Amino acid sequence: MTQNEMTDSEPGIDSQTTTTDEAASESLLGTTEIADDRGADAVSSAETVIETRDLNVYYDDVQALDDINMEIPENQVTALIGPSGCGKSTFLRCINRMNDLVDSARIEGELRFRGKNVYDDDVDPVALRRKIGMVFQHPNPFPKSIYDNVAYGLRVQNMDVDTDAVVEESLKKAALWDEVKDQLDRSALDLSGGQQQRLCIARAIAVDPEVILMDEPASALDPIATSKIEDLIDELAEEYTVVIVTHNMQQAARISNKTAVFLTGGELVEFDDTETIFENPEHQRVEDYITGKFG
Amino acid sequence: MSTETAPDITTSPSGSIRERLYRYTLFACASASILVTLGIVFVLVTGAIEFFGMYDPVAFFTGTEWNIARQQLGVLPALTGTLLVTILSALVALPIGLAAAVYLSEYASERARSVLKPALEILAGIPTVVYGYFALVYVTPFLAALGLPVGTFNVLSASLMVGIMIIPMVSSLSEDAMSAVPDSLRQAGYGMGATKFEVSTGIVIPAAVSGIFSSFILALSRAIGETMIVAVAMGQSPQLLQFGQPLANLFESNQTMTAAMIQLVNAENASGVIYQSMFAIGLTLFVITFVMNLASNRIAAHYREEYE
Amino acid sequence: MATDEPSWYGEDSQVSQVRGRLFEAVCLTATSVGLVSVLVLLLYVARDAFRPFTGDPSWALTLPTFPVLGSITLVIPGWQLVFFVTLLLPITLLAVYYYRVDSPAGEVAYITTGLPIVGLLLAGSLFVIFAELFAVKAWFASVLSLAAAGAVIYGHRRLRSEAPLERLVLTVVVPIVFVLGVPPVSVARLVGLPKRVVSLQELILKLPYLPLPSLQLLSTLTLPVAAVAGWFVGQRRDSRTDGIRAAALVVAGGALGLLVEAVTGVAAPTWVIIYTVTAVPVAVYVEGIYRRNEGVSGLAFPVVLVGGTLFGVLTMRVLGFSGPASWLDWAYLTSAPNTTPELAGIYPALVGSVMILIVIIALTFPIGVGAALYLEEYAPSSGLAGKFVTLIEINIANLAGVPSVVYGLLGLGLFINRAHLPGGSVVVGGLTIGLLILPIIIISAQEAIDAVPDSLRQASYGMGATRWQTTRNVVLPEALPGIMTGTILGLGRAIGETAPLLLVGVAASVRLAPAGFFGKTGAMPRQIFAWAFEPKADFRYGVLAAGVVTLIAVLLVMNATAIIVRNKYQRDA
Repeated sequence: MTQNEMTDSEPGIDSQTTTTDEAASESLLGTTEIADDRGADAVSSAETVIETRDLNVYYDDVQALDDINMEIPENQVTALIGPSGCGKSTFLRCINRMNDLVDSARIEGELRFRGKNVYDDDVDPVALRRKIGMVFQHPNPFPKSIYDNVAYGLRVQNMDVDTDAVVEESLKKAALWDEVKDQLDRSALDLSGGQQQRLCIARAIAVDPEVILMDEPASALDPIATSKIEDLIDELAEEYTVVIVTHNMQQAARISNKTAVFLTGGELVEFDDTETIFENPEHQRVEDYITGKFG
Repeated sequence: MSTETAPDITTSPSGSIRERLYRYTLFACASASILVTLGIVFVLVTGAIEFFGMYDPVAFFTGTEWNIARQQLGVLPALTGTLLVTILSALVALPIGLAAAVYLSEYASERARSVLKPALEILAGIPTVVYGYFALVYVTPFLAALGLPVGTFNVLSASLMVGIMIIPMVSSLSEDAMSAVPDSLRQAGYGMGATKFEVSTGIVIPAAVSGIFSSFILALSRAIGETMIVAVAMGQSPQLLQFGQPLANLFESNQTMTAAMIQLVNAENASGVIYQSMFAIGLTLFVITFVMNLASNRIAAHYREEYE
Repeated sequence: MATDEPSWYGEDSQVSQVRGRLFEAVCLTATSVGLVSVLVLLLYVARDAFRPFTGDPSWALTLPTFPVLGSITLVIPGWQLVFFVTLLLPITLLAVYYYRVDSPAGEVAYITTGLPIVGLLLAGSLFVIFAELFAVKAWFASVLSLAAAGAVIYGHRRLRSEAPLERLVLTVVVPIVFVLGVPPVSVARLVGLPKRVVSLQELILKLPYLPLPSLQLLSTLTLPVAAVAGWFVGQRRDSRTDGIRAAALVVAGGALGLLVEAVTGVAAPTWVIIYTVTAVPVAVYVEGIYRRNEGVSGLAFPVVLVGGTLFGVLTMRVLGFSGPASWLDWAYLTSAPNTTPELAGIYPALVGSVMILIVIIALTFPIGVGAALYLEEYAPSSGLAGKFVTLIEINIANLAGVPSVVYGLLGLGLFINRAHLPGGSVVVGGLTIGLLILPIIIISAQEAIDAVPDSLRQASYGMGATRWQTTRNVVLPEALPGIMTGTILGLGRAIGETAPLLLVGVAASVRLAPAGFFGKTGAMPRQIFAWAFEPKADFRYGVLAAGVVTLIAVLLVMNATAIIVRNKYQRDA
């Protein structure tokens, strides 16, 4: 992490020179540090794992997403930011076809996961969701024991693994093992909010997905729990591709490699490296949003 | 785009035999209800057709005499009997039920509700044959002790018990309707300095009137279809309404459509036409209650849209 | 300050509350009118059934002669006073104590009193079943055959785990073949088939040597219950060894029955049944209470209840009082109807009602819950299929409002006239009333399933679970308490229905309990209806009252169970 920190929060004022290899210190957000430890190499050599082409989504007659074209790189954290109601969650739920559960949703265009259009007729959404996991905004553990929660996916998919070992490993990866290792039989509902959310993450990674979708995972949590989750996301990105929707711009700046900005009408206005978005965006609207002029 | 490890997302766990089997089985369970309705309609219609082949339908629907021995099968006496019981029980149940609903919804404390609601549920759970027994053995002597010239079997005690039986229906459905009125409306009323009485009667009840009305219709439909109370407490002698002496109708025995059907099953000389008349009466009853239920649902649904 | 204008506060500005208060009072009175009148009627029935004011009025105290009033004789009813002191007073004091001081104890008291009662009722039903329906050895043979069938299916799964269709076929066919034979006996008798494949159950029955009835019961009744109890205890204490120990204790207690038989002459099977069904659940519950150590004082309540009653009976014997000449006594519950009022009983009708209820449960529970699951979880809400589903829902709502007598016509026209099932039999009665409460079960199950939070479903689907997996693993367990409550309340309605029974020819009075499910039967409400028209006053006021009280008591137990289940799981949520 860089040592340079902005001392005055005037956005856009260029008072220091910085190299692009070091952490951006002139963020439009002021003093927030932008994640850079993956460096330029990782960014440029990443393969695209999810690609959308002219994706449009309608709920009855209301358009929720407008011509989205995006390529999400592998093993990186991609953040989707924007004001409320601009289609971020809708887009996220298109990736694992959770929108299928909404009767009024109509999807047009293509969304390819590793080259295969997930909306093709021969794709079973259930099979898709076994490859792409999801963590929701409000922690929703099942009213079962901690162990049974994490093992749920393994059982449901009939995975031939050593369940105990996988449960332990998932809880460790989710940074929850030490806190619950003696009480795996306890009801998951007894945990605190932050612990429940980490449990949901453990549950999602237990089935070894390739992509993890997160819909504002820390918005219902207190700051300490939030920072734990953010550290977690950092580590998860080494093994999985993470796509995260967040309201919290500082959070997006902290943890993501690439950021997509959705604005009114479900429009993807800009999609670029996080540093670029927060320091030097192309579109004025994005700059206005980030500096708080609206939204 | 990385396709080397293209995962196989075209296997279909949802389409497996197991999944489909469960789906079809559950669908069959749901469709069973349609079969029941079809069965009822089938039985009633074929029975009625057979009956009307043996007995003139016009004479049935307009005949004013019901006498099995003399093969006179006019349904009007039974129809008016049902009407009489329904009206009387409505006079009892609708005001009391509505008042109970208002109290429970607007005035009652948590403690009072926790006592009164289960109590009303228990009231709804008492078998109707027990209510009939109450009417016959306790209410009729009580009415006689009050000085009313009631016979052993009379319309008044049966109607009173039918009314008491349907109170829980009116109160719980009306209370649901009143609770569904958004609290913001009440707040608006209080905010303007209205008293609780004014809010309850002037805002809540009018807002919930469609639900209340629909509950009334459902309760009446239940009263029309009620069998055991009237069979036990009212006797088996069908009579037309006597308009000359209105009170006499209350104190004497009478017969409703439902009681007539019971009587026919047990009738000794159950020859073809008499036996089949049961289905004709049943069809009439079914149509009446069906139409009322449908109307009640329609009214409730139509006005519920205003809130959602 | 000018005080000419009326102030907006102070005495003069109070808005009149009179109208509102009056209105509130009127509403409360109206609400109470219905409740109070039914309460009064219930008290009257209880009075007529139990006749508490008969019996020895002893202890007539003659007070000394007063100048003006003359001699006054106070008559204190004997047995009432005894029981007042030994039972009523302590119970009331305890209840007040729980209410005021120790609430959890109150709940414990409630459950420790209710559990044994429910257990005794269950044990009673088991006794009736073994006495009337089938012998203990038939049960033994059935359980063994079922276990064998289960072993076959399990073995198939082990050996050939990749053949789900085969396994499905086996799961359906093997139990039927093993337990019922092809075709089942009753159907064969009905249809008149001479040849059939004998079932494993019958083969077992034909064995020359079968273990003692008590041992049969031990292995097939106590053993499964012990396994469940052991699992429960093991879960709660978080220790598998504790669970095994508990299970072993349960089995040992059952085996004690042999000793009991030798010492006291109480039949060993009786001991095993009562022990397994009543004592074991209570023991498991009490163990939980002790471990959690809250509300332990609640355990005193049933002890006082039983102790007080026994003490009262003893005191009455000693003092020479006689109890009330109640119409509702043990003889009433175990005798057949009779033209002599004093000898009349309700036993066959009771058995008939229970058997009809069994048919109803077997029919409506699976179909009702299945339909509700489909309508809530699977049904599409748009397009042609969606319209069909809406039609089904409207149809169910309407069926719930069809008069019960029309269902009777359905039973008569369809099951008796067309399908030629025996009129007035358990099966026909059960089918008819089952169809009557089917809409009720579906609607209440739908409400319970709807109450499951959607976030749980989302979580499950998000992890790639199929619809059935989500339904079975997440939705159904959550909704189950609500479904049970609704079902129990529906069954309560079913047990009191009379009109359909009248139309399908259920007999007014039966002397014997029904012989199997296709045999002619009576039922409690039907019997009550018949008694209401008996000319003798004793019937109308005595026997009939006893019957009504029996029916209401059964209903109260069912309703109370449903309410307890609902409250317990609403609080856990």
